[in-house]
Amino acid sequence: MKKISIIIFLLGVFQISTFAQDDISPERKLAIDSLAMEKIRDLEKYIAIIGSKETPASEAQRVIERATELFMVDSEMGVSKLGSDKTTNYPVREYFQRLMALNYDKVTISWFNIQYISDLEKMPDGRWVGVITIYQRFEGTTKEGLKYKDTTKKDITVYVERKQTQISGRTIGFWDVLLGDVRVAETKK
Amino acid sequence: MRKFLLSILILLNTGLFVRAQVIGELLEDESVLYAETKQINQFFKRFNSEEDKDGNRLYEGDPGFHDNNLREVSLPMIFDRETSYFNKNIEKKFIADVTNKKNPVYLEFHGGEWFAEVVIYTLYYGRSAEAHLFLKLQEEEVGSKWVLSRVYFEPFNALFFDNPSGVDKFLHPMSHELDFMNLAKVFRDHSMVEYYAYDNYLPDYLSIFIYEMKMNHLKFEGVKKVKFHFFQVDQFYFMIEEYNRQGFNNGWLISKLEEIDEDEKNNLLNTIYHEGN
Repeated sequence: MKKISIIIFLLGVFQISTFAQDDISPERKLAIDSLAMEKIRDLEKYIAIIGSKETPASEAQRVIERATELFMVDSEMGVSKLGSDKTTNYPVREYFQRLMALNYDKVTISWFNIQYISDLEKMPDGRWVGVITIYQRFEGTTKEGLKYKDTTKKDITVYVERKQTQISGRTIGFWDVLLGDVRVAETKK
Repeated sequence: MRKFLLSILILLNTGLFVRAQVIGELLEDESVLYAETKQINQFFKRFNSEEDKDGNRLYEGDPGFHDNNLREVSLPMIFDRETSYFNKNIEKKFIADVTNKKNPVYLEFHGGEWFAEVVIYTLYYGRSAEAHLFLKLQEEEVGSKWVLSRVYFEPFNALFFDNPSGVDKFLHPMSHELDFMNLAKVFRDHSMVEYYAYDNYLPDYLSIFIYEMKMNHLKFEGVKKVKFHFFQVDQFYFMIEEYNRQGFNNGWLISKLEEIDEDEKNNLLNTIYHEGN
């Protein structure tokens, strides 16, 4: 899927062989946003699969690998709970492992049909960075039938990098997107 | 309050900040989420009228972009209406100033004159203590980055100028004739050593903070709270904070607004930085 999206991007949007890319035009920003949102949708899908109690453990482990590949190395999830001022940071892989091991009999994870995509800002290393905000609804039911529900706001760092590859002797530029640190905050919604 | 409720009604009708979208039972929740100012980035966009009612980015030439009539109605929505108090005259003047048709004021991410205050938890020599980090956006040859500009840390503060008089603490003007042998007395009681520094000496807490961290005496334990201080609008200061609560008045909102002249600005900066107290 990742390969297909990059190829579509290469063929459909940016057949550009230059790297002189100081500003991102509104049109290009929209295209990068949609590539970033594709990663976010993948992440949402993986989280729902990892959290679901119907997913066999071996399958969940495989999906954790896929989900982790969406992120830059060393990315963390900073989790804060209502009623507590403390935020706990977990490496993304550990966060997914904890999600898989949650002690509920049934878990449903769904996503609100809303997101906010920030501007992209250039970093001193030449890459670009933005933040996408999404909202998740979690519902867990214990064996005894007790229900727990929460809504969390997830602010997800998105790194965007201009890269190049050789195709049939031609240098083709493309935009690569990777996810970074995520702030996970429980909301009062 | 009545005016605020009226504004909400107007904005609900015009759809500003709230996209009515029927998705089963989530309608109300989603409206609330649309209304929330979800990022600082969105605060800038809403302040400047650079996003449409669905949260999409507006660019120059788009209808509604930098629309000052729209801003007059929407700006009251990015004030905290539940826990903060605003002087009505100052608020009115502020909104009139920034939406002035001839000379409007828009916030600029790279415009300077704004900075972050991050309250963090630390362990200092094994004991819990909060520190205030001040960060500013620094422009680089390529891109930009947030940098630490100052630190306020009460345990450091308690070490300096504890005795307000200190007038008898000096090295007399003939000390040089004795190879400054009286320095021995200065450093024997090191609790008062700062009084022997030059006029207006202020300790650099940031350097001490970095030093203590490098010496493993100080450990970062997490972020408690983040605020942003804005001085981009002439004659005004405002602060924004994040609110996490039910209802439409939520997210990153103005929590403080003051009308200030240049002297008051310097005093205010000193207060924010806990300097000169």
